[in-house]
Amino acid sequence: MVPRGANLAVLEREPTPKDIMCGLDASGGMPRAIRKETLEVLALARRFNELVVRPGALELDRRKHEEPDYLPWDFVHEANSWGLYTMFIPKLFGGQGYNLPALSYMVEELGSACTGMANLVGVHYLGVATLCSSWNMRLMNKVMRDTVEGEKTGEPCLISLAITEPGAGTDVEEVELVSKATVTCQAKKVPGGYVVNGRKIFISNGHLSTWHMLIAYEDLASPETSTVMLAVRNGMEGFSFGRQERKMGQKGCPASELIFEDCFVPDENVCFSASEAGSMKGSAERVTMQVIDSVVSTSRAGVAGFGTGVARGAYEEALRFASETEVGGKLLINHEWAQCILAEMYKNVAVSRLTYVETNNANGMYGMFKIMQWKPVYYYLKFVPRAVIDRVVQPLLDLPAMTWLFRKVMFEWQKDSDWQCTSGWGSLAKFTATDAGVRNCQLALELMGRAGLRHDRGAEKHLRDSKLLQIYEGTNQLNRLNVFKCFIGRQVPEAQVFED
Amino acid sequence: MGSRIDEELRMLEEMALDFAERELKDRREECDHYPYAPLEENVLEKACDVGFFCMTVPEELEGGAMGVEALSLVLKDISRTDASLAGVIFTTALAQELVLAAGAGSVLAGAPGNGSWRESLIAFPSFDDAAENLGLSAERAGGAGYTLTGKVEYVVLGGLASRALLPAAVPGVDGYSFFLLDLDAEGVRKSEPVLSLGLHSCPAVDLELDGARAALVGEEGLGASYFTDCADRLSIPAAAISTGIMKGCLDEALEYSRQRFQGGREIVNWSELRRILADMATVQATADALVACACVRAEADEPGWRLLARATALQVQAAACDVTTDGIQVLGGNGYMEDYGQEKRFRDAKQVQALLGLVPMRKLEYITRVIEGEPT
Repeated sequence: MVPRGANLAVLEREPTPKDIMCGLDASGGMPRAIRKETLEVLALARRFNELVVRPGALELDRRKHEEPDYLPWDFVHEANSWGLYTMFIPKLFGGQGYNLPALSYMVEELGSACTGMANLVGVHYLGVATLCSSWNMRLMNKVMRDTVEGEKTGEPCLISLAITEPGAGTDVEEVELVSKATVTCQAKKVPGGYVVNGRKIFISNGHLSTWHMLIAYEDLASPETSTVMLAVRNGMEGFSFGRQERKMGQKGCPASELIFEDCFVPDENVCFSASEAGSMKGSAERVTMQVIDSVVSTSRAGVAGFGTGVARGAYEEALRFASETEVGGKLLINHEWAQCILAEMYKNVAVSRLTYVETNNANGMYGMFKIMQWKPVYYYLKFVPRAVIDRVVQPLLDLPAMTWLFRKVMFEWQKDSDWQCTSGWGSLAKFTATDAGVRNCQLALELMGRAGLRHDRGAEKHLRDSKLLQIYEGTNQLNRLNVFKCFIGRQVPEAQVFED
Repeated sequence: MGSRIDEELRMLEEMALDFAERELKDRREECDHYPYAPLEENVLEKACDVGFFCMTVPEELEGGAMGVEALSLVLKDISRTDASLAGVIFTTALAQELVLAAGAGSVLAGAPGNGSWRESLIAFPSFDDAAENLGLSAERAGGAGYTLTGKVEYVVLGGLASRALLPAAVPGVDGYSFFLLDLDAEGVRKSEPVLSLGLHSCPAVDLELDGARAALVGEEGLGASYFTDCADRLSIPAAAISTGIMKGCLDEALEYSRQRFQGGREIVNWSELRRILADMATVQATADALVACACVRAEADEPGWRLLARATALQVQAAACDVTTDGIQVLGGNGYMEDYGQEKRFRDAKQVQALLGLVPMRKLEYITRVIEGEPT
């Protein structure tokens, strides 16, 4: 008989239970109401697909072919009227307070009909996640309540993330690379705020957003220790929009250029700065990395949702085609080989979904969702009347102590194994689901032949849309390296990442 | 003899590359937009003048009398810059080969040499195995003529050419037959160009025919045998388009990766990126070699060349889809933008893979022929 202690000791070995049992670990602590909420989200997304996305997706794509500068305000207003931009904003900040993991299910649903339109909704929450990763409670309250107000007034108030630069894409998603990046967007500290100069490109939803979470650098020579996150609102002097990129797919969702020319951003709009990071336990570089990792650990689950969605969209088009087309004298769906291809596509969808679910479990246990999914907080926010939150809790959010407290919990108390788990799973989900998305689109086109090439059948649009998913939120190569860094390299003392 | 042929091919290659550089390169982006204009008329006119639209037509019919190797070379070299013109040449060549296989070459007489690109082009549903796109029914009319009624989807060049070669079923006759249709004839209705994934300057239309007069090509019911014969031969040029796309993609990826910096150095010096480039380069080189080998065996009429041609197309077209996917990845976000050539190559490669019919059916046909003992 092996002593019990000896048995437990082997659990220290890789892969650790923490990394391979996120779902199991999360299930006990997860509020049961989350399931019902998620079903509500799913039902709403399916209705929205039926009434808005499917009837308009091909038309929007065709229109963007013809008028590349067209902005889909009609869709954004429609989504706003359905409450899609406040659904996942916590009730603490005036939103509807649906659980954030349900967002992945929602973008999968929307993405199965149109990834471009799914981005018009989902990318707003990339901005939200970026803002939340700063844990600046005062600004979170201010900016997100603008979105809530925009829903009431019918004037959509979206939030974007502005990070990519002309000379730095992959670099700025990874703290260990940003130190060598050619960044040019500088935020120079001046009395009362920052003066920003530079350009940001490929900013999804840029032209459609009111608030922009801008990542800039105080010292361009050492960006890794001088990162600053600023909340920039449309209309600020020195801030303007440039061109919309001409993309192959996801045409409905604009990729914008943002231009900053001596743009003054007051101190009250600083979400997070290097000096704040420096005042916390741990190096400024580590805290900055935690902020970036916290964003991408959640946003990559969202991109995995898009990937799963487009994989499913391609599968559904192929299934429809196979069910109504005769080849070699019988319906395609009754050819054994076609059934196996469809099963392969179904598997790609199912496996992709599992990866984002597990990422969300990890985020619920060790990452950004942890506090909101903690049962006392979850049920308090769920059942306490909104008026109480607005009158009693909201004023507290302006207190610096609140920001200090949340940062203490989220940054200082976060262990290395915590961020390794969330960040590793985020990356794994991202490249698994997006590779599966592209693969399913390719399979669909092979199965459909000439019909798959036609815009009016939808499959070719899925293929064009899917390819971007392998690129944004860190290329899939960067994400593979991150999986190595988080899950593999730590086992091998000799291993060095990004030092090739 | 061998060296003379080599010299001819070398000159042909130079001409094709030069043509692509002068006539296609600068217009590529412009011609790719929707609603798309087809290639400018003067480009088609020049392509016609240099004989691109009659390369394999016999000399006595005023064609170039060239073989599949020459056609493949030209298609590859053009596709390095823009595969759309290659799609135009391929579709016309396929239709011409079918006409010749049916012993009806006389209908081609004069057209290639009269200098009119519109008369030289022949529209054809080149993304189908003809047997799978039989929406037309043919009725015998008075004299030697027939009338065609029904719908046929995705007729490539249907909006450009003056004539189309179309498959149709003749009631009471097994199999299908080919008919040559005047696209300006009464009873012919064309759709707008179909918005498609790739090859935008080689557009297709849907046709709706209502008693349109047409001429039978070859014999009734023998369409499938003509098609199989020609699809074997034309599989090699179809693969050649894919090799050209791959070469253009690799060239752009290499050039970009020497210029772009990430993490403080040129991205070409990142070993993972080098691995991707190596994958692209080795696949492109072997695809090139495979097409060259298939050409040589086809020209020599060696036993087994037909199945090799089919296998080459399946393999090379799939490889081009992978290479162009990586080609975008090397350029990152820029690769996804229309300002660069990679996204177009990605779309074109997938479009080209669908030439000659459904990929899985082509694979099944291949293995059926192997099982039945056809030499490989």
